[in-house]
Amino acid sequence: MASLWHAMKFFARYFKHYKLGLAIIVIFTLLATYFQVKAPVYMGNAVQEIANYMMLKANAKTAAQASMTQVYHAIWMFVLFILLMGVGLLINSVMQALISSKAVDDMRTGLFGKLQRMTVKYFDSHRDGEILSRFTSDLDNIFNAMNEAIFQLFSQIAILVGILVMMFTQNVALAWVTIAATPITVLIAVLVIRQAQHYVNLQQEEVGHLNGYINEQINGEKVIITNGLQADSVAGFTEHNEKVRQATYHGQVWSGILNPLMMGMSLVNTAIVIFFGGYLALNGSLDRATALGLIVTFVNFSQQYYQPISQITSTYNMLQLAVTGARRLDEVFDQPDEVNPKNGVKFDGLQQQVLLDDVHFSYNPGNEILHGITIEANKGQMVALVGPTGSGKTTVMNLLNRFYDVDSGAVKFDGIDVRDMDLQSLRDHVGIVLQDSVIFTGTIRYNITFGRPDATDDEIIAAAKQANIHDFIMSLPQQYDTEVTDENSVFSTGQKQLLSIARTIITNPDLLILDEATSNVDTVTEAKIQRAMDNVIAGRTSFVIAHRLKTILNADKIVVLKNGQIIEVGTHQELLAADGFYAELYRNQMVFD
Amino acid sequence: MIKFLLSYVKRYKRDAIWATVTIAIAAITSLWQPKLLQQVVQAIADDNLSKMYPLGIQLIVVALIGLIAGALNTIFATKVGMGTAADLRADEYQHVQQFSFANIERFSSGSLVVRMTNDIQQVQTIVMVFFQSLLRVPILFIGALGLALMTLPRLWWVILVMIVLVVGITMMVMQPMGKLFGKFQGLLDKTNGMAKENLQGVRVVKSFNQEGNEEKRFNAASGELTDINIKIGYLFSILMPAFMLVGEMAIAVSILFVGQHIMADPQMLGALTSFVNYLMQIMNAIVMAGFMSMFAARGFESTRRIKEVLDTDPELTFNPEAPAQNLSGDVTFDHVSFTYPGDEVPVLKDISFDVKQGEMIGIVGATGSGKSTLAELIPRLYDPTEGKVAVGHVDLKQVNEGSLRRAVAFVQQKAILFSGKISDNLRQGKADATYSDMQSAAQTAQAAEFIERYPDTYDHVVEERSANFSGGQKQRLSITRGVIGDPKVLILDDSTSALDARSEKLVQQALSEQFVDTTKFVISEKISSVINADRIFVMADGQLIATGTHAELLASSPVYREIYDTQKAQEVID
Repeated sequence: MASLWHAMKFFARYFKHYKLGLAIIVIFTLLATYFQVKAPVYMGNAVQEIANYMMLKANAKTAAQASMTQVYHAIWMFVLFILLMGVGLLINSVMQALISSKAVDDMRTGLFGKLQRMTVKYFDSHRDGEILSRFTSDLDNIFNAMNEAIFQLFSQIAILVGILVMMFTQNVALAWVTIAATPITVLIAVLVIRQAQHYVNLQQEEVGHLNGYINEQINGEKVIITNGLQADSVAGFTEHNEKVRQATYHGQVWSGILNPLMMGMSLVNTAIVIFFGGYLALNGSLDRATALGLIVTFVNFSQQYYQPISQITSTYNMLQLAVTGARRLDEVFDQPDEVNPKNGVKFDGLQQQVLLDDVHFSYNPGNEILHGITIEANKGQMVALVGPTGSGKTTVMNLLNRFYDVDSGAVKFDGIDVRDMDLQSLRDHVGIVLQDSVIFTGTIRYNITFGRPDATDDEIIAAAKQANIHDFIMSLPQQYDTEVTDENSVFSTGQKQLLSIARTIITNPDLLILDEATSNVDTVTEAKIQRAMDNVIAGRTSFVIAHRLKTILNADKIVVLKNGQIIEVGTHQELLAADGFYAELYRNQMVFD
Repeated sequence: MIKFLLSYVKRYKRDAIWATVTIAIAAITSLWQPKLLQQVVQAIADDNLSKMYPLGIQLIVVALIGLIAGALNTIFATKVGMGTAADLRADEYQHVQQFSFANIERFSSGSLVVRMTNDIQQVQTIVMVFFQSLLRVPILFIGALGLALMTLPRLWWVILVMIVLVVGITMMVMQPMGKLFGKFQGLLDKTNGMAKENLQGVRVVKSFNQEGNEEKRFNAASGELTDINIKIGYLFSILMPAFMLVGEMAIAVSILFVGQHIMADPQMLGALTSFVNYLMQIMNAIVMAGFMSMFAARGFESTRRIKEVLDTDPELTFNPEAPAQNLSGDVTFDHVSFTYPGDEVPVLKDISFDVKQGEMIGIVGATGSGKSTLAELIPRLYDPTEGKVAVGHVDLKQVNEGSLRRAVAFVQQKAILFSGKISDNLRQGKADATYSDMQSAAQTAQAAEFIERYPDTYDHVVEERSANFSGGQKQRLSITRGVIGDPKVLILDDSTSALDARSEKLVQQALSEQFVDTTKFVISEKISSVINADRIFVMADGQLIATGTHAELLASSPVYREIYDTQKAQEVID
């Protein structure tokens, strides 16, 4: 119930921009419903008038009074009402299409905008696929529900109420007969839906296991082939496949049975109405022509009355998915935004030094990653961070760009705490090159000018040349206009890194943070990356997170981190002389004769 | 396509027949009902009480039969649908397991997974829909049409005009709809792709202060998507009111006609109600057929994709007649050239060498020089385009599959583990491996120290995507799996890249001490990994350009010298 209330508030939030449209929908739903319910009455009237006409005409005494005027009138009213109904329905569904598309657009862009404002911590602690499923399945579910269930729910209820009113004004006894079986129908529907949900969940679980198995096995096919494990793989598959076969049966039968069940109930109900109506016609106080007309009318009512009931039950699943979707979207919307201090100091370039001052930091409370780190980098210096996996090297980078805030201590640029700075001005002056290069779908030009969309062609080429990637780009048929994606193989891993170096060079940052790629690149490309890095580092203050020690032999300062603490500091020569952790690392990595 | 599906449906012949029978009964009952209704009205008109009650009971019985038939149909249709899907999936999976590696790369593993999951799901849906509804359509259409004509034959032209109008509207709307759906799918993929990229590149976007621009770009794409969405919505908006109008107008015209000719044929009045009902059923049948055709189009596309997999022959098959034998660790390449299927440029060019059992061979060279491809020919992942590869002096084209698998172990750079237990993964290398087998293999691969720290040691769980292990741990487990079967030939394809230098040295030491009789191929970017090899093969541009020990190559091969220069310590140069 709470989730239903929440979902209603969620939708109200998006619908409130479309008050006029909603008002139109409400009005025209009511009107169309009225016409839809009323039209069969005129149809019944027409039949009744024809019967009257026939009786008058058949009797020689009254034959002269017989007139088709009443018949024509009833038919004319019927036509008028269905035309009005058609117009009402059309306006209605046009408005619905407009509002549901626009509302989902608001949700989609709102979600994306929210993601742009959220903290890096959120992205680090949630799987991409999990976040992405908001865009794919949740928005999809909400859109489907809006198109096929939410507005319809309103009109179905309106129709239901309208038909009830009409029925009771026409004939109370027949009206009671028509709705008598409703509680049983609803009870059956609820029971069937519950069963269906239970079994469909089980089915989804088994299907999930099977799909997971297939995915894992096929992606590991090389291992399967080289170890000759095909038969084992098939055996494991068969087990999962049989489970799915079993689970699918119950899930599909229960959810598939609802429709025939509702159709059957509707038929039974119609039969009851005819049966009782006939009884009334023969034994009741009504004259035959009236009774005949009433039966025709109520047969129609009975079918119309069951339509919204079976519609609502058949869209129940869809509605539930939308409720879940609304909750999951709000989970994201309720996340905190990145903190940008009001009236923060505008940082306009590094003058003296970057300082990490006794920094303590933890990603999760109680699990401290950095235990009091102090690093000083003077303007123009290159500082290298070295250490085993998990030592905290990458964490330092996260702090310099204020992706995360320190627990205690401070990160200072020229003595100003980054937490007091305007976030955008800080990031304008800090450039990063990540370990895993990111390519955005678009042209090469777009990727290079990512941080400075207004860069000129000369600037683009200069940056690409410095990054040692210009010649390769020029060898492509489309050159700088070549479309690239993260997946297509225009660039090798090493070249992707060169491209991201060019992307950083073009923004001309004061402070540079380079996280060296760990993935294997061959020696030729590695040498190119090395030269590109040298180019970009020259004349700038830089932090280099090094995995290959060769990169950092010329660093002004090498900081060796281990388990979140600084264990050695010095130049390459000094650290070799000290014969400690660094020297050991160096000897293991390099080739000596 | 239909024939293909039918061959699977046939296995559930009895259920399929029952589903057909029950759906026919259900369809007939819904046709019969208006007929009964007409008779009841007639009975009322005739003041015939004794006729009316049995007719009323008959109506209820017919409704109940319809209900039961509908429910039974669901059960039978489900049995056929899921049976077909499960069998099809099983056949597809078994077939894929016979594929050679080239087949899998050609399809791409991602596409194969989709073909075995989503596509099968689609097929299941159309088979079920077919047995639940599609059969109903022709029965309803023909039945309702016949009955309507029998009830009020003079109104044949009303029916005809209605059919023409409904079919016309359906076709007019469905065609642009199909196009719009295609566009919609493309734009949806685009926006979702943008969202995905922004998630992956969140650090780049933030550090370049591009949040605003990215939002603008995304909003533009989302706006395009919304425009298409609205267009589709408008088209749909026309559909339902139009159908309703056509149907109801047909009713109005019928009533008018009946009124005008009632004196000529008084029976028409009683027939009117059921005629109206038949009109509605004819219309429903046409509309249903329209929606079904959209469904079917998707289902057939999936069927085609599944069939494509099943129709693909394995590109490489082992000779089933070949006798099992113990192969030695000698490896021979005799003028081997290799071009990837579908490519034009050869990856390996005329390579010949003889390796004696127990030798350690290092293979170095730039990315794309053909190192890995060379290695992949030894376990016969591919057949050479020209020349001959032999293990234990048996041509691989004539070798017994089991014998080759026992003799050759291949450890890839990308360590792939399967969810389950560590022991399950290790037993992939040797089905009957004992606890002590695992222990000694793990010691060789430097994996024992971390495995044995778990309380459940070798029964420790491997999570999906082996998320609970670091890159180095995964590689060490993968090497353990490679050495546990005591292979005659062991290939390490850059499989120590995530190990720290110390562990790598220990692995190499253990291998050379404990696997004296095993031929070892070590492929690496790092000279330090191959420096102690008996021979080092230098590859460049698909050719084997130099062979020798480290010292020999330093003196003789400029390419080797260049690679070495980029990796040696500064102190050595100075």
